[in-house]
Amino acid sequence: MWENRCKVAISGVGYSTVSRSADIPLAAHALEAVKGAVADSGLEMSDIDGLSTYPELPATGHAEVDGISVVSVNCMMAMLKLPNLTWHIQVGTANIGGAVQQATNALLAGVCKYVVVWRAMHNPKGTYQNLPGAHAHGAAQFTAPFGFGGPGQGMAVAYTRWLERHNQDREKMATLAVTQRRHTQHNPHAYFHGTPLTKEDYLASRMVAYPFCLFDCDIPVQGAVAVVMTLADRAEDLKPKPAYLAGYGQRLHFETAGRIGSLSSYMEGGSSSSQLTWERSGFSPKDVDVAQIYDGFSASVIYGLESYGFCGEGEALDFIQDGRMELDGELPLNTFGGSLGTGRIHGLWHIIEGALQASGRAGSRQVKNANVSFVGASAPIVTGTTFIFVGDPY
Amino acid sequence: MSDWSQAKRPIPVPDQWTQPFWDSAKREALKLQRCQDCGHFQHPPYPTCVNCMSIDMKFEPVGGAGHIYAYTIMYHDGDKRFAGAIPYASIIVELDDAPGALMAGNLLDAPYTEAKVGRRVEMIFERLNDDITLPQFRLADTDPTE
Ligand SMILES: [Zn+2]
Repeated sequence: MWENRCKVAISGVGYSTVSRSADIPLAAHALEAVKGAVADSGLEMSDIDGLSTYPELPATGHAEVDGISVVSVNCMMAMLKLPNLTWHIQVGTANIGGAVQQATNALLAGVCKYVVVWRAMHNPKGTYQNLPGAHAHGAAQFTAPFGFGGPGQGMAVAYTRWLERHNQDREKMATLAVTQRRHTQHNPHAYFHGTPLTKEDYLASRMVAYPFCLFDCDIPVQGAVAVVMTLADRAEDLKPKPAYLAGYGQRLHFETAGRIGSLSSYMEGGSSSSQLTWERSGFSPKDVDVAQIYDGFSASVIYGLESYGFCGEGEALDFIQDGRMELDGELPLNTFGGSLGTGRIHGLWHIIEGALQASGRAGSRQVKNANVSFVGASAPIVTGTTFIFVGDPY
Repeated sequence: MSDWSQAKRPIPVPDQWTQPFWDSAKREALKLQRCQDCGHFQHPPYPTCVNCMSIDMKFEPVGGAGHIYAYTIMYHDGDKRFAGAIPYASIIVELDDAPGALMAGNLLDAPYTEAKVGRRVEMIFERLNDDITLPQFRLADTDPTE
């Protein structure tokens, strides 16, 4: 087990409004979320001395303009003018989960006391993957000429392989979409709060990239979420009950650029990351009370459930049936609605929900007696980070 | 059938390291990158052998027979260059001669509904201009899975 387990905690959490279009600059969303997280902790902004984010815009073909389409550490520094700032970082290889992990490391190293981590996501005007080019350079020279335009298709090809090799049926995924949408109705910050979804809606929805229909894809939105992290003993003096970080992991496998469709690369990414988290925390999948697994595209949940060890290969779509992922089920899953419910804010919202469930702060969607709270914060292949939070330190 | 005449395919821009692939496609005799130390084929080309760390890489001929490793059928018109061709099958092919090397392509000369994991395909060539010819795929004449 990890000697630093339960020494770092997530304290406050914050949200901006989540909207379909960019009515205010993205920096304003990020500021609202950061202020919310600091207030939720009962801290003053001047207490914050660490900043960490992953700022990238996943939409291609759009300009990255700081404060408008991304919110970098520099942008946040300029807005907050923190008098006691001592540390900051932007991560590259591990998405927003990596920003949380680096903040953990900085707190353990004693170079800062209260870190705020945020993720701000922009929804550009016009088509999300803007691909006007008459030429294809770099890795795209082997994919773009064949109409592989966006990340959805890269996910979709692995999904057909999974479905047909395991003789599975995509219609079973309706359970994931519908159950998560029901969870969403307990999350007032989510984009689809107030909008129900039925199995019939799912089955009748238009195809985007087979096997993905519209409701297999998270909707692009403009919004931000944030957390305050600190050492456990400091967190215990703050307003909210802390969510203790019991262990974390990163994927230790990467596919060469442009090689798409390989299912095994998803599995190796997820298993390498979760193995670290299981070993460091001392828990195993059967100990988990509640799980958040990244669902930017629905099939990511399949690769997550299987590569993290919650079920065997080829079993995930059966595993989620029969009420198992309900709030009172055997493995309550994506209890905040997932990205399919909140809109595309990437994995920090999964981490927030993991923390809220561990600390008993999830309100009407709280899973009873939840202690061991698992998070897979991004697609296992790309940037897969995993976490376990607990309410009872050990 | 997808109306490929409506697709405005982006033209691949070869670089120093990928030029041999496109030269071989233009001659309609495809070569893939192969490690001279361990024999591993890989695609797309990479600076080193990802099997054994060798830097001794050359392009060697491969046969055109293979199977559909994975596929997707595109219905969304977000990629405007292909909007006129939807729905269409974008496929990933593993060649018999180069296991583990995964080539993107399209399933041509067949309804897009014919794309299935495991189906036998053969390479054909689609000329885009004087410099660039795409390796593409159609269903193999004899399909041992049927
Ligand atoms: Zn080699």
